[in-house]
Amino acid sequence: MLDAFSRSVVSADAKTAPVGGSDLAGLRSYVRDGNKRLDAVNAITSNASCIVSDAVTGMICENTGLIQAGGNCYPNRRMAACLRDGEIVLRYISYALLAGDASVLDDRCLNGLKETYIALGVPTQSAGRAVAIMKASATALIGETNSPASGGKRFRKMETTQGDCAALVAEAGSYFDRVIGAIS
Amino acid sequence: MKSVVTTVVTAADAAGRFPSQNDLEAVQGNIQRAAARLEAAEKLAAGLDAVTREAGDACFSKYSYLKQAGEAGDSQVKVDKCYRDLGHYLRLINYCLVVGGTGPLDEWGIAGAREVYRSLSLPTGPYVEALTYTRDRACAPRDMSPQALNEFKSYLDYLINALS
Repeated sequence: MLDAFSRSVVSADAKTAPVGGSDLAGLRSYVRDGNKRLDAVNAITSNASCIVSDAVTGMICENTGLIQAGGNCYPNRRMAACLRDGEIVLRYISYALLAGDASVLDDRCLNGLKETYIALGVPTQSAGRAVAIMKASATALIGETNSPASGGKRFRKMETTQGDCAALVAEAGSYFDRVIGAIS
Repeated sequence: MKSVVTTVVTAADAAGRFPSQNDLEAVQGNIQRAAARLEAAEKLAAGLDAVTREAGDACFSKYSYLKQAGEAGDSQVKVDKCYRDLGHYLRLINYCLVVGGTGPLDEWGIAGAREVYRSLSLPTGPYVEALTYTRDRACAPRDMSPQALNEFKSYLDYLINALS
């Protein structure tokens, strides 16, 4: 497993060069925006249960066949497995966002996930849709772009200082896209 | 690669939980000290060749017998390899400063070093002498800020202890 710092070390070691100059600029921005990143991780972890249950609910609303007899979220046992998987994926995304590097997500979550889902008969298209909904709500919470209209009864805004979080929103979004890409 | 963030994530993953407030605080503490580390890494990277040269010269001037026939530095090829190794050690210290932990030195420098030096009949004393010279030669604020120097010297001491 690597983080943003050890990633630059590993790539410098391949060239037997020290880490200096331009390589350090990226790390300095990680340090400078460190508090923003911790707030972003906190935005995901504090709302994890809500993000996951909303995503699975949304996926089922769009395709109600999933909870009818023969569907992949029927009976409760399989619905519970679906919620559990959503939480696991979100957890590894929060690790990747904390580390600033996707290697933990790749190594410990995505490696072999598609093959497992195919073997178990899980519809990867539906799973990908649930991850896409998680992406929408997580990025809205990180960037504080969510609105009462889209949030409904569950609307919540994180009480963090206002600022430019575009880079972190994009980074978090890229990890969700990585999951969708890996299972579809 | 062991670092503060990967240690925190490994522990959270083993427990199957999201990163907790404790984890975020640990990472925050690491970030606060990062500016000095990165400064030391930058200055060391910029002067790596000069520092290597000075350290090697210091060790060969103290142990001049090393260049006699039958000793570890009796040909130019062997002397060059000594300088190369010192450069490698300093590069690994640069990596440690970037990561904020001893992971790179442990994994790529120290693990197995004793066995290698023994099988090649190489003395580790001269390496210790060269690194000690570097440690005592570096000074603030000429080379880097005091806090950065402190970080740099702590990794030098870690390596010296491992080699002695």
